[in-house]
Amino acid sequence: METIFLLTLLITFLASFIGYELISKIPQTLHTPLMSGSNAISGITLIAAILIYPEVGESQFLKIIVLTALALATINIVGGFSVTGRILEMFKKND
Amino acid sequence: MIEIILLFSSVLFIFALKLFGRPSTAHRANTFAILAMGLAVFSAFNFDFSKYDSVFYITIFVSGLLGVVISKRVQMTQMPELVGLFNGFGGGASGAIAYVELSKSTLPLSDYFVAIFSMAIGMFTFSGSVVAVLKLRGKLNANYSTIATIFTAFLPPLLLLPGIWDSLFLERWGISILTLEYFILLSLIGGIVRVAVIGGADMPVVIAFLNSLSGIAAMSAGFIVNSIILIIAGALVGASGIILTLLMCSAMNRTILQVLKGGFGSTKVNNEYEKDPISTSPEDVAIQLSYAESVVIVPGYGMAVAQAQAAVKELTNTLKDKDIDVKFAIHPVAGRMPGHMNVLLAEVDIDYDDMYTLEEINREFSSIDVVIVLGANDVVNPLARTDETSPIYGMPILDVDLAKQVIIVKRSMSPGYAGIANPLFINDNSKMLFADAKEGLEKIVKSFELV
Repeated sequence: METIFLLTLLITFLASFIGYELISKIPQTLHTPLMSGSNAISGITLIAAILIYPEVGESQFLKIIVLTALALATINIVGGFSVTGRILEMFKKND
Repeated sequence: MIEIILLFSSVLFIFALKLFGRPSTAHRANTFAILAMGLAVFSAFNFDFSKYDSVFYITIFVSGLLGVVISKRVQMTQMPELVGLFNGFGGGASGAIAYVELSKSTLPLSDYFVAIFSMAIGMFTFSGSVVAVLKLRGKLNANYSTIATIFTAFLPPLLLLPGIWDSLFLERWGISILTLEYFILLSLIGGIVRVAVIGGADMPVVIAFLNSLSGIAAMSAGFIVNSIILIIAGALVGASGIILTLLMCSAMNRTILQVLKGGFGSTKVNNEYEKDPISTSPEDVAIQLSYAESVVIVPGYGMAVAQAQAAVKELTNTLKDKDIDVKFAIHPVAGRMPGHMNVLLAEVDIDYDDMYTLEEINREFSSIDVVIVLGANDVVNPLARTDETSPIYGMPILDVDLAKQVIIVKRSMSPGYAGIANPLFINDNSKMLFADAKEGLEKIVKSFELV
C-alpha cells in the first residue's frame, strides 16, 4: 500500500470526524438549512467532472455522460446554495 | 499554488460548518461555503481554461442558471422535495463520473472497487431520490413492500448472476452481462424499490439518509480522480447526513434498518374510540385562549399541507398583544424533513427563540394553560408512553396531554401515519376543533375581535 493512499484514508477519517463533531452541535432549528447547505456541497463532484472532461477521449457517448454529470452537479451546487441562502435569510433577526 | 488554494478551501468548508451551529451566524456559513466551493472549482481548472470547449462552458452556464431559477421559484413548504431532488442530482453526477472512469478501463485495481462502489451508491441515490420526491408530492401512495421483499431476497443471486452467466454462456452465445450497465440497472432498481416501501412520515429519515449517500458517493469519486478536496467535502456531507439520519431514527425510537425495511403503519390495529370526542368552535377556542397565560402551539405536517404558517403568525401576534406567552413545541420528526417546521415558522418571522425542542418543552407542559395541536398526530400520542403493544411504544413524544387544556385542530378523527387511534383526542381535557388548519386558525383570530 502506498503512503499516499494511507494519507488519503487518514484525511477521510479526520474530515468525517470533524464533520461529526461540528454537526452534532447544530440545533434542530437549523437542520433544514444545514441539510440543503450540505446538499449543495455534495455537488462538489463537479470537480471530478471538470478533471476528467479533457481526458475523456474520442467517445461521444462518454462525453455526453460527463456533460450530464457536469449539468447535474452544477444545478445541485448553484440551486442548493441559493436556496440555503433564502432559508437562512429568514433566520436573521429583523430588529 | 493549487495546493494552497485547496487547503484554504478545505479550511473554509470546516469553518462554514462551525458557523452553522448558531442561528445568528448561520447566514455567514453559507457565504463561507460558497467561497470554499468557488475556490475548489476554480482550482480544478488548474489555470488552464483553454482545455475546455464551448459545449463545456455552455453546459455549466445553462445549468447554473437553471439552478438559480429552480431555487427562486420553490416554496418553503416544498423544501423537502427540492432537497430530495438535489440529493439525487449530486448522487447521479458522482455515479456518472464513476461510470466514465470505469469505462476507460485504465484504473488500478484498488480504484476499480472504489469506482464500482461510487457508481452503485450514486445511482441508488439518484433513483431513490426521484422516488422520494414522487412520494413527497403524493404521486406514489401504494404499498410496495411485497416487491421490496422479493427484490431483497433475490439480490444475492442477481449479484452473482453475471459471473455465472458469463462463465457458462459467454463463449457459446457471445453475450456478456458482466457489464457496468447491468450493475447500474441493479442499483437504480435497488434505489426505487428501497424508497418506494417507505411511507410519507418516514421521509425525514429517507431524505437525511440519501443526503448522506450523496456525500459518500462524492467522497468515493474523489478517490477515483485523486482529489483531496472532493474527499474532504464528501466526507463532511456524509457525516452530516448520517448524524441527521440517526437523530431522526432515535426520535422515532426505531433503528435505521427498521425504517428502511418500510411498511410501517400498514398493519391494521384497533382504531375505534371508546367515546366521542368533545367538539369545540373557533369562538369557544378564542374565549378559552383569552383566559390563558401560557399557550404552546405544536405544528405538524398538517400545518405545511394547509399552508397555515401565516395564520399561525396572526394568532401568535393576537395572543402576544394580550400578553399571553406563546411557545412552539417542535418534534424532531414533525414534517417531511429535519427542521421542516422551524423553517416554515421562520418564513413568517416567528422568532427562533420561541421554538422549543422536545427535551426543552416537555418539562413545562404541566404548567401550560392551553396547547394547540396543529396537524400533528403520532408525535403527541400518549400511547407511546403507556401501551407496550403499540407500534409507537417508546417513541419520544411531546407530552401535551399533561397540559391543562388541549385543543386539536384537525379535519377528522382519522389516524396518523402509524395508523393507530390517538387517545389524546378523547381525553377529558382535550377538545377537537374540526377544521382545516388554516381556516380553523383564521376563524379563531376573527373570533378574538368579538371577545
